[in-house]
Amino acid sequence: MATIIVQPSGAEIFISPDDTVLAGLQKAGYACTVGCRRGGCGICKVDVLEGSFTYNRRVADSVITATERADGTCLSCRAVPDEDLTIQMRDASLRLVNPLLGQLNAKARERARAASTAPEEQ
Amino acid sequence: MGIMRLGYAHVRVTDMTEAKNHYGSTMGLYETLEDVSPEGNKRTFYKGWDEWDHHSVVLEEGGVGVVKYGWKAQHEADIEAIENKAKTFGLTVERMSAGENPEVGDGIRFTTTSDHVFEVYHSQTAIGTEVGTHNPDPFPRHLVGIGVPALDHSLITCEDPKLMEKLLMDVFDFYPTERIQTSLEDDHELAGTWLTSNNQIHQMAVIGGPQGKLHHFAFRLDDWSQVGHAADLLTMDDVAVDVTPTRHGITRGQTTYFFDPSGNRNEVFGGGYLAFPDRPTNVWTVDQIGKGIFYHSRELNERFTSVLT
Repeated sequence: MATIIVQPSGAEIFISPDDTVLAGLQKAGYACTVGCRRGGCGICKVDVLEGSFTYNRRVADSVITATERADGTCLSCRAVPDEDLTIQMRDASLRLVNPLLGQLNAKARERARAASTAPEEQ
Repeated sequence: MGIMRLGYAHVRVTDMTEAKNHYGSTMGLYETLEDVSPEGNKRTFYKGWDEWDHHSVVLEEGGVGVVKYGWKAQHEADIEAIENKAKTFGLTVERMSAGENPEVGDGIRFTTTSDHVFEVYHSQTAIGTEVGTHNPDPFPRHLVGIGVPALDHSLITCEDPKLMEKLLMDVFDFYPTERIQTSLEDDHELAGTWLTSNNQIHQMAVIGGPQGKLHHFAFRLDDWSQVGHAADLLTMDDVAVDVTPTRHGITRGQTTYFFDPSGNRNEVFGGGYLAFPDRPTNVWTVDQIGKGIFYHSRELNERFTSVLT
């Protein structure tokens, strides 16, 4: 049984053998951003600050890049801790739940900014 | 008539054994061929019980997401006509020889403005439907799992849905049945579009997002009861369900979304209304996008526009 320390809060949870990081978090009552829960979308990534883990299934290179495999990025739905882990949650505060509307809003903001800075017509 | 239907969806999976369990045992597709791609990847070909061509789904081991789509044209001459329209649109088109895809004839291949690979062909080896054509029963007696009859449609993402809509209209003669727009004014932006060439409410849909991504590909069911039954089976088989049975405002279709073992999103889709080219296009404004996508909850879930493969 491994321990996961969840930053930024420092909360400590126990995780059963063979459970993924995500399963451990959920069994301990945590809600976090999840997607397909099958290793395909990459939404559930967290950062491992200390400790190591192993993926329990093959993970596509398009989901975890070579750089991410080395920099502590952890696809939580497929990662099983080898030992105690310290992880950092991503995007834990402001959660944009509708990126499509977010993109449209960003474009509208850009247009408004461009209009406000455009030189006045003669 | 040019393009008749979405002929095949060719997708990547990370583990073929798990994928076969899903598409064969849970979805109930019929395996028609197993081979190895020229690149050395395992592939499995499937058809639904009510499809007559050799395959409509191709799984290829090695990653996630869509490899390409095949579109079946009614006449052989349609291929050249579509090739010319694609070139006029500004696309680079290459010829595809019979056998490049097992059991698929000559055709063309091009990469769309959305960075998806489309193939157009006219012939594919005919196997026949499971119930046959002579005094056929309405369904096979021994369906496996959900027993989906056929591939239905797909939804993809790209940075410029308006340009992709124009491609599908200009090159494939598709027409839009439903749109999501930022406003009803002429200078609106297009956030999403649903298109078809025939009475099927949509064969391809496009929403704004990253280039070249798969949102889902869908299988056809008749109605609510089948969608509910499918959802029951998904739970029995511990499939990761994305959205439990509901209705779309857009298309009026009844739906359940779920993920295959690699994280590719699937849908079973029933009902909807008949499309006609002269039917006015339904327009949804972005403030009603929740109701358009999920009619009952009227709220987009966090995953709908962010979970892609």
